[in-house]
Amino acid sequence: MSGHDSKYFSTTKKGEIPELKEELNSQYKDKRKDAVKKVIAAMTVGKDVSSLFTDVVNCMQTENLELKKLVYLYLINYAKSQPDLAILAVNTFVKDSQDPNPLIRALAVRTMGCIRVDKITEYLCDPLQRCLKDDDPYVRKTAAICVAKLYDINAELVEDRGFLEALKDLISDNNPMVVANAVAALAEIQDSSARPIFEITSHTLSKLLTALNECTEWGQVFILDSLSKYKAADVREAENIVERVTPRLQHANCAVVLSAVKIILLQMELITSTDVVRNLCKKMAPPLVTLLSAEPEIQYVALRNINLIVQKRPTILAHEIKVFFCKYNDPIYVKMEKLEIMIKLASDRNIDQVLLEFKEYATEVDVDFVRKAVRAIGRCAIKLERAAERCISVLLELIKIKVNYVVQEAIIVIKDIFRRYPNTYESIIATLCESLDTLDEPEAKASMIWIIGEYAERIDNADELLESFLETFPEEPALVQLQLLTATVKLFLKKPTEGPQQMIQAVLNNATVETDNPDLRDRAYIYWRLLSTDPEAAKDVVLAEKPVISDDSNQLDSSLLDDLLANISTLSSVYHKPPEAFVSRVKTAPRADDEEFADAAETGYSESPSQGVDGASPSSSAGTSSHVPVMQPPATPAPMPDLLGDLMGMDNSIISAQLVRRDGQIFYDISFDNGTQAVLDGFMIQFNKNTFGVAAGGPLQVPPMQPGASARSLLPMVAFQNISPGAPNSLLQVAVKNNQQPVWYFNDKIPMHVFFGEDGKMERTSFLEAWKSLPDDNEFSKEFAASVISSIDATIEHLAASNVFFIAKRKNANKDVLYMSAKIPRGIPFLIELTAAVGVPGVKCAVKTPNKEMVALFFEAMESLLK
Amino acid sequence: MISQFFVLSQRGDHIVFRDYRGEVPKGSAEIFFRKVKFWNDDEAEEAPPVFNVDGVNYIHVKVAGLFFVVTTMVNVSPSLLLELLQRIARVTKDYLGVLNEDSLRKNFILVYELLDEVIDFGYPQTTSTEVLKSYIFNEPIMVDAGRLPPLGPAAMFMQGSKRMPGTAVTKSVVATEPGGKKREEIFVDIIERISVTFSSSGYILTSEIDGTIQMKSYLTGNPEIRLALNEDLSIGRTGSSSTYDYRSSSGGGAVILDDCNFHESVHLDSFDIDRTLHLIPPDGEFAVMNYRITQEFKPPFRVTSLIEEAGSCKAEVTLKIRADFSANVTANTIIVQMPVPSYTMRASFELEAGAVGQNTDFKEGSRRIEWNLKKACIVGGSEHTLRAKLTFSQESHGIILIEALLVYAPRNLTKEAGPVNMNFTIPMYNSSKLQVRYLQIAKKSKTYNPYRWVRYVTQANSYVARL
Repeated sequence: MSGHDSKYFSTTKKGEIPELKEELNSQYKDKRKDAVKKVIAAMTVGKDVSSLFTDVVNCMQTENLELKKLVYLYLINYAKSQPDLAILAVNTFVKDSQDPNPLIRALAVRTMGCIRVDKITEYLCDPLQRCLKDDDPYVRKTAAICVAKLYDINAELVEDRGFLEALKDLISDNNPMVVANAVAALAEIQDSSARPIFEITSHTLSKLLTALNECTEWGQVFILDSLSKYKAADVREAENIVERVTPRLQHANCAVVLSAVKIILLQMELITSTDVVRNLCKKMAPPLVTLLSAEPEIQYVALRNINLIVQKRPTILAHEIKVFFCKYNDPIYVKMEKLEIMIKLASDRNIDQVLLEFKEYATEVDVDFVRKAVRAIGRCAIKLERAAERCISVLLELIKIKVNYVVQEAIIVIKDIFRRYPNTYESIIATLCESLDTLDEPEAKASMIWIIGEYAERIDNADELLESFLETFPEEPALVQLQLLTATVKLFLKKPTEGPQQMIQAVLNNATVETDNPDLRDRAYIYWRLLSTDPEAAKDVVLAEKPVISDDSNQLDSSLLDDLLANISTLSSVYHKPPEAFVSRVKTAPRADDEEFADAAETGYSESPSQGVDGASPSSSAGTSSHVPVMQPPATPAPMPDLLGDLMGMDNSIISAQLVRRDGQIFYDISFDNGTQAVLDGFMIQFNKNTFGVAAGGPLQVPPMQPGASARSLLPMVAFQNISPGAPNSLLQVAVKNNQQPVWYFNDKIPMHVFFGEDGKMERTSFLEAWKSLPDDNEFSKEFAASVISSIDATIEHLAASNVFFIAKRKNANKDVLYMSAKIPRGIPFLIELTAAVGVPGVKCAVKTPNKEMVALFFEAMESLLK
Repeated sequence: MISQFFVLSQRGDHIVFRDYRGEVPKGSAEIFFRKVKFWNDDEAEEAPPVFNVDGVNYIHVKVAGLFFVVTTMVNVSPSLLLELLQRIARVTKDYLGVLNEDSLRKNFILVYELLDEVIDFGYPQTTSTEVLKSYIFNEPIMVDAGRLPPLGPAAMFMQGSKRMPGTAVTKSVVATEPGGKKREEIFVDIIERISVTFSSSGYILTSEIDGTIQMKSYLTGNPEIRLALNEDLSIGRTGSSSTYDYRSSSGGGAVILDDCNFHESVHLDSFDIDRTLHLIPPDGEFAVMNYRITQEFKPPFRVTSLIEEAGSCKAEVTLKIRADFSANVTANTIIVQMPVPSYTMRASFELEAGAVGQNTDFKEGSRRIEWNLKKACIVGGSEHTLRAKLTFSQESHGIILIEALLVYAPRNLTKEAGPVNMNFTIPMYNSSKLQVRYLQIAKKSKTYNPYRWVRYVTQANSYVARL
């Protein structure tokens, strides 16, 4: 290649597109390649060159890899916006996936996986299947990742075509790169599915540990992170894992080191031998410290993790405090984290060194850092009783420099020290009072006022000092006002003389009449009441002894800490937040549901919903924005409200709906209340795939609704049309929209009894036969504690209305036993035995059915019928 | 995993932008740039390398004045992403010879080709220049390295990178030389960054060496290399205490590493026996070994500083540096800086008689004095002194300050000035005494005698003397 690529950016004149078109169709190879480069250049700067689609695709059939790659790059970008034309590329893709050159084979599947267009995806399956078994590891490792891509587009397809199994087979591949990618793909698929897909067994464990030694640094991280989810069976296994992982601590890649540390920490929980644990701690220290020699960005991540590790296992780095001393050229974010760890590691042994450092930091330029350093001195004083005095003398030294913000910060921490060690260091109050006039930050002011109030009896001119603050009472921030109020009350209780009495009058007046802050007013009223009714009681309340404080700032509670330690070396351990707090991607089973909802929201609604649902819709993610509103179904469906169905607020509009059965036909009984000021029309509805394959049997017919009007519609439904795979559940995800309002999603429940057929009645003999023929482990029973049978006959009649048919009954002691049957489509029978005492709460329901999976849903339905 | 990768210029322009998963809303690059520029209410504070805005996680590093950024929606390992970003920068540099906005823009097609091989669907695949060579078909377009500012130590600090790029090597590993034939050569750089903190009395409070043995190979056929280090090298401090007694341990001359790690291509089979590293160096620049030393060492410079009151609103500063290394070594440009009290108005300087190649400055904005010494004058064993007279303001600062000066002047001056910090590079010198005893290339041919460059460099990391 000759010349500069940047020349392709230069031509921006009119007529560029026709010009490019001509060049793309040139008979000369080089000219075509140059033209494609120009197209890509235009594309990368955001110009729309989608109109050249056909011409670019025409260049795809070439032996020249450089050119082919360019065309592929173009396709990835524009296929979504030209789904119909994208089909033109399919032939070449499929041909390429069988090319003798492994690079071309891999390139073809890799690129097809990136094009989220139905028509391409359809054709991806066969090549992918071949490539997963390709002879060339480069092709296999590309195919492994491609499975994850396909899962993201169409999870069902992946499961149906057995790609998950193929992927699991790749864990045993002889190429470590392939293993690593298979692990990464499986981990991602597992993350987006609630079903267990990728579970590490002791067999896979040993394979992964072997692959670990040979694969690239990135692959090592994938494997280590998957291993971190493995729970060792016993101590021996834990020790074995640790032993195999420990050499990773020597890796030059910090991510590998941190992931290894995570595993070792987790497995250490199981290891009981203190010697082994001590030894491991010793081994982890140098690599952790070495992380601090890396780039500052990595240091930051390492420090955030170390912060967690030292909270759990302080011994690991107890002797390494020096490495956390700040360097003058550390970025501020690194300095701040180091300071935090220094406080955590400070001990009686090293406190002198640490204080010397803090003192130095307190005179640096960066204001935030200086403040934090001053605060750190105070926190050490609170943490280490024996060092408190030395800390205070350092603080006093700093106060004497009279740098305003240092003084203020020092006063704030000294207040805490007074709280921690009452009646110990009051001698320094005089020094503090010298700086009174310079205080201008609310927190510092409030702290100083607290000190004056708390020690009013020992400060000769406490009343004068407080009075000087009182002059500006109305202008002070609430924080200071509250402290002034309390301090004045304390002063008055300690020195009930004339001066303080006048002050208290003024303050109470100010704080009750002249304020609109309810906190201040309420506190003032309480004091006022107390003082006027029983001054002794007031003393007991206001001057009561305070509980001792400890330094718990930035200390995490132990359950959160454990949670975070399990997430060492992830973003979670950097933010110090559990993953749920910032990862918005939700787990659902099965995943495809989410996608389709999102898609439906984008593509607009099909007038015939039954088709709209199944036409599996990834093409719709072609929209310009990739951000889609994703409904988050609750982990367990909400309990079904008795007969009202689910209520869903639309502004002030209400939808209520439920599945019902009428004359052997299932309907979705849905009613709308228009609470808006507008006429609502154009209602449409769509159902997500569900266990029973419930879908609309026709369009939703709701007449235009005037404001305030309501409407009701019985939408005929079809069932068992498009069944979502996975464990049965009763979740029904519904989306409703109209022309005026945004799309509304809600979760309904499918009451199973709507499927109970009119043909469910069984003869006594066939019932008995069926009962006997089913093995005992097909029998389940459940107690409905809240249900009451008040009359046998009424119950039989009520259940018969829902197609649960009575067969026989008998008496057993004081209880009645009823035998009944029901049947759902596909001939699945339920043989039921209900045991209850009339009028007494508690119905025992036993059931035998060949279809065990449905039992939970069956019980749900019965319970609701018996309510 | 990774949703997007992009490179932004210092002004926020997109230079490279690749979306791998299409899950992050549009405008992420703009959101990132705004956040980084105005971190913490547009104060000068630097944004941390990892942060979350509206559910999107942004992870970035700054390399060569450019932002290298990835975004992700899931809870991944940020250290993996940070390492990856550094590695992408390095691979790109391997290919392009130099890494800057110009070279990236000129080679955007090559860069996209690289990115597609390095990351697939957000998962890092390979960052080895060697491996990548067989998948990459575009050829780099060289930019004129002559027009670039030299990559001195100062440039290195701007990059915030420990692994300094091979000092003068700005040629691509894949491009052929204009003459057609590739020059057979291999560079081994022992780069040590030292941190020393002196107390006010000249006593060493902390000292540390962060070292890297960096290699860049242009050898054809990837022959095996043997790299022999000091025979008496030992790893790991004995005992867990933080105080050591070196004299009794191994005669004082031994090099003790606290910890070290190696590149994955390194075989350590004979390392325990004869301290020799065997490796087949992949193409491109990489760190063979990183090591860390807290063993005592002789700091290359002694710094003494003094600040004294000289009248009510004046003070005198004396800075003295002594080069504590042998006379055949010469340090590169030295910069000595000292913050002065914020109420300093003027500073006048007095250099020793006959001083050449030195200059001084009072930076009013950042309130510090700066002393630069040019290369020629810092020969081992030499000593240099600077005297500065500071004049403080009388009027503009309130009574408190004046009072403070009168009452506490001696103590306050040292609190409000300093610490002194130094920046320097000393070529062909290393503090740790770690040596490459020999570098052997296992290729059997009499005529084959490639150029071998073994270079030592010591740089200041945080070299501070407190007042």
